[in-house]
Amino acid sequence: MNRSLGLFLLSLLVGGCATTGEVTAFKDADDTSKIQESEGRLWHEARSYDLTIERSGQIYEDPRATAYLQGVMDRLYPEFKGKIHVHLYDSTQLNAFALPNGSVYFNIGLLARIGNEAQLAAVLGHEAAHFIEKHSFRQRVSAKNASAFAVSGIPFASLAAVSSISGFSRDLEREADMKGYARLVRAGYDPHEAHKAFEQLAKEVQALRIEEPYFFSSHPKLVERIDAFKELAAKQKSGGRVGTEDYNQVVQPIRLEALRKDLGQDRYKSVILVMEDSNLRRYYPASGYYYLGEAYLRRDDKNDSQKALQAFQTAEKLAPSFAPTYKSLGMQYMKAGNKARARESFNRYLTLASKDAGDRAYVQQYISSLK
Amino acid sequence: MKKTFALPVLLVLVGGCAQAPYWTVTDDANRVLKSTSFEMTVPAGWTRTTTADTWEQVKVDDKPQTLLLEQVTASRDGVALQAITVTRRYADTAFPTIKKKTRADMLPIEAADLYVSELRKRYGLERLRVVSNKPTQINGHQGFELVMEFRNDDGLRLRIVSNGFVDKTGFYTINYRAPVLYYFDRDYADYTKLVRSFRQSKGAFDPPPEIPGWAKIFT
Repeated sequence: MNRSLGLFLLSLLVGGCATTGEVTAFKDADDTSKIQESEGRLWHEARSYDLTIERSGQIYEDPRATAYLQGVMDRLYPEFKGKIHVHLYDSTQLNAFALPNGSVYFNIGLLARIGNEAQLAAVLGHEAAHFIEKHSFRQRVSAKNASAFAVSGIPFASLAAVSSISGFSRDLEREADMKGYARLVRAGYDPHEAHKAFEQLAKEVQALRIEEPYFFSSHPKLVERIDAFKELAAKQKSGGRVGTEDYNQVVQPIRLEALRKDLGQDRYKSVILVMEDSNLRRYYPASGYYYLGEAYLRRDDKNDSQKALQAFQTAEKLAPSFAPTYKSLGMQYMKAGNKARARESFNRYLTLASKDAGDRAYVQQYISSLK
Repeated sequence: MKKTFALPVLLVLVGGCAQAPYWTVTDDANRVLKSTSFEMTVPAGWTRTTTADTWEQVKVDDKPQTLLLEQVTASRDGVALQAITVTRRYADTAFPTIKKKTRADMLPIEAADLYVSELRKRYGLERLRVVSNKPTQINGHQGFELVMEFRNDDGLRLRIVSNGFVDKTGFYTINYRAPVLYYFDRDYADYTKLVRSFRQSKGAFDPPPEIPGWAKIFT
């Protein structure tokens, strides 16, 4: 009696959790309104996640850059225009992710490291493919099928968000690579650019020993992806849109902001890595040398204060109207006992800095102390 | 014989176990809060901790560590609505998550920058925004006054004002945190009075105490 009841309950559980039909990809924007109830719940969760991100101020507000990214996305997937929404995510970690409802988040840290529009298209194409191929739903279905027979502590509610952010299974990631790559080629981008973005990221992840649980911060996964893209590109002719100038025009202010945020979160190693590498540095404004100087001071190794002074002096030479450089130069000269140059630098800072600059009062105090 | 021995032991045990309450309401009789390293006058009607916390657990490179500090907290309506926290950290562990120490020649602006980076490593404060940062005087020390803001997951805007300074005994901060909506402005005047009343004690120059053995089991 008890045994048959148990079997009945088990069959209900299995029947309720396991899916019977195959999950099919979205064909176009209209198709996204025809979703099953269980998929609808996933969309609802994703919407809640969108709201949390928005409410807690995690969206990076740059309408021009957001519109640019959205334009690239619409070029890659014109039939999904209005259904895939690209947002800039205020984080310097090297990541991008897509939620099951078509929200794609692109971290400003990753944006700062990419060199051109074709490389951007490679990442966007990949992320949109996760949404179109319903990877979150497929991952959830397979997890539910497995868990119907196993005791698992994984909360399903968070599974979609977790896999969206940290990466899907290897097969799903490969599928997203293939689909995204096909769109990149179809949209007229240079297919030989795709792997270059990831090569740079892999180099950085290895150099900084980044161990963040993000797909784009996982070194083995990046190496695997580079190989896959190289293999695909070998079958294609060179040529197509690269979009270096357009990309850099839009992204340059974000690059500087990413350096500032990296430093503000004590990621000085990342700033040093970027600004010491001539290949990367060429994408950054000259005022980036100021952040390099500050990063050396944070690292505080032997000779770093000398290196910092040199970086500030380079910033002064190449970006003479960038105010923060003069505050740092003034402090360096003041510590070295060079009062005249310290006063000169601090006065220059007060001339260039905005009237409401938060640290004016410190500089005024230092000038008074130098008299 | 056994009974007479057991009784004093029991009394000692009970005496040892019975502790003063962790929180107390401040009235005119107990407005001055004296800790080992500092003392201050707590606004009347506020609730405050009766003794200082002497250690905290922080994650450094994702590994929990138990660190010495001295910290007292006061609140009027509950710490979620407003909290004043006065903290003394020791020089070697002044900025634990970014692994930086204080130096005797550290300028207030340098301490403020490191402190902001330290806070941004703490959960929920990753996007802490600096609203202003200016020099100030705290009990005769050159210090900083930082105003910072962040939003929690529900979108509530919270503001932190931090008055801090560095000296040879460590790094001191007097922080006030409250939602911008209604609470911050209402209780800010009480906070400024508390900051003005802050005094370092002779105990600040004593050698640091030991971390309690039982606190280390968390690391």
